[in-house]
Amino acid sequence: MAEKVFNLTRDMLDPTFADLVAPDREKLLTCIQCGTCTASCPTAHAMDYTPRQLWRLIQLGLKEEVLSCNSFWLCTACYSCTSRCPRGIACTKTMFTLKRMALSTGVAKRHATAHFYEAFTETVRRHGRIHDVELMTIFFNKSKRLQAISYTRLGLTLWRKGKVSLDAAGVNIKRLDQMEAIFRKAEELERKR
Amino acid sequence: MKYSYMPGCSLLSTARGYDTSARAVVRELGSELIELDDWNCCGANAIESVSYLLSLALPARNLALAEQANRELVTGCSSCFFNLFKINHCLRQEPALQGKLDEILAAAGLRYSATCRVRHLMDVIANDIGVKAVTNRVERKLTGLKVVPYYGCQIVRPSDEYNGPYLPAALDKLIVAVGAEPVPYLWKTRCCGGVLMTTEKAVGVNLAAEILAAAQSADCIVTVCPTCQMNLDAYQSEISVELGVRIRMPVLFLTQLLGLAFGLTEKDLLLDLNIVPVSGALRQLQKI
Ligand code: SF4
Ligand code: SF4
Repeated sequence: MAEKVFNLTRDMLDPTFADLVAPDREKLLTCIQCGTCTASCPTAHAMDYTPRQLWRLIQLGLKEEVLSCNSFWLCTACYSCTSRCPRGIACTKTMFTLKRMALSTGVAKRHATAHFYEAFTETVRRHGRIHDVELMTIFFNKSKRLQAISYTRLGLTLWRKGKVSLDAAGVNIKRLDQMEAIFRKAEELERKR
Repeated sequence: MKYSYMPGCSLLSTARGYDTSARAVVRELGSELIELDDWNCCGANAIESVSYLLSLALPARNLALAEQANRELVTGCSSCFFNLFKINHCLRQEPALQGKLDEILAAAGLRYSATCRVRHLMDVIANDIGVKAVTNRVERKLTGLKVVPYYGCQIVRPSDEYNGPYLPAALDKLIVAVGAEPVPYLWKTRCCGGVLMTTEKAVGVNLAAEILAAAQSADCIVTVCPTCQMNLDAYQSEISVELGVRIRMPVLFLTQLLGLAFGLTEKDLLLDLNIVPVSGALRQLQKI
């Protein structure tokens, strides 16, 4: 990626950002910018900022720039970076935190992956398990994308082979009441944090 | 030995062949997988992006159920494995989490005291049942079959309790145990991009293409993860276009490969559910 020059002004910097983002802020500040995370990352080539660059932006407190970039939406949670970082920084966990922050502040709207995660969560809440067809239906509705078409052929192949079914209720667990109780309590505790 | 078994959502749908072949092969080897009653989705990599506490509570419900059953909990899905394993790991690292988890599970009338050991099916077959027992059960040696041992990323993280994070060996040993030949392969634990296939297809296809392109000297790929198998198996026509080379590489689950060597039938192993034909391709090579 080409070099990007920021003319930093005070209002661009949020000094509390690193505190909010990093589960291990003190450690994140020890990042030596060695780039091992980036070199290990299978999707760094498609990211607006590579993982290494992202940590630096977080240290500086460039909140908007960070939350609006695509980097963490491309994180597959493969944990290569985390397992190799010589500083023991919780890179993947930080990527997850960024996803949650972007979702809760609403800047995630543009990203299909965000819609997918929400659709996934909704499906689990309803059934306790994933029902592929319902998940895809909710996802395509949310993301209002026409790309559904490009999955039709694969969907048909899977259906012919009996790998997907149309009966969403068929995957229901017995104790959906427990599922709902867990979702409610987790939401309540998340709000308190 | 008897284990509690959690198939996971994929093994009920896109990876049914894994579930069926796993149960059959483990039975052949004299152990038993007893399905955990009423297990729920582990959250894959999606839930942690929405709620951290929920990403702990969902797998923890399964662990609470398995703790009641008082057996080790086995899964063949690397994502389930990772999420379940992570709970024990997090509770050790951050004892403060126990209180929150207790509170959430209590809302569902459950409790988890962090005593249930979590295992991946590959680990159970390689280390509990053992390579020797596998070799002894072989009826049809897969001599000359060149196999890529593809572990995927989730199975080797975050801890290397039983497997090295970069050059794990359990799968290689099991391939040798059935008389086949593991191909030296540098991408063993590289992410296949499967979780991006729905939302960032170009990036996902790119990663899967790398894995498949590097595997071309082999007769087939063997995986231990439903996401990897589906991803590497189902998009080969698109990937062929991307690479400009026609790729038609059978991608089997470990348990399908073992089952073939044990003399189980294609039906026992649901081989016909794989998208790139498996049995035909291997038979053509006159290797089975
Ligand atoms: S590997 Fe660790 S220390 Fe090196 S740049 Fe990445 S986060 Fe920083
Ligand atoms: S966990 Fe995410 S950021 Fe880290 S290497 Fe994997 S894809 Fe890249």
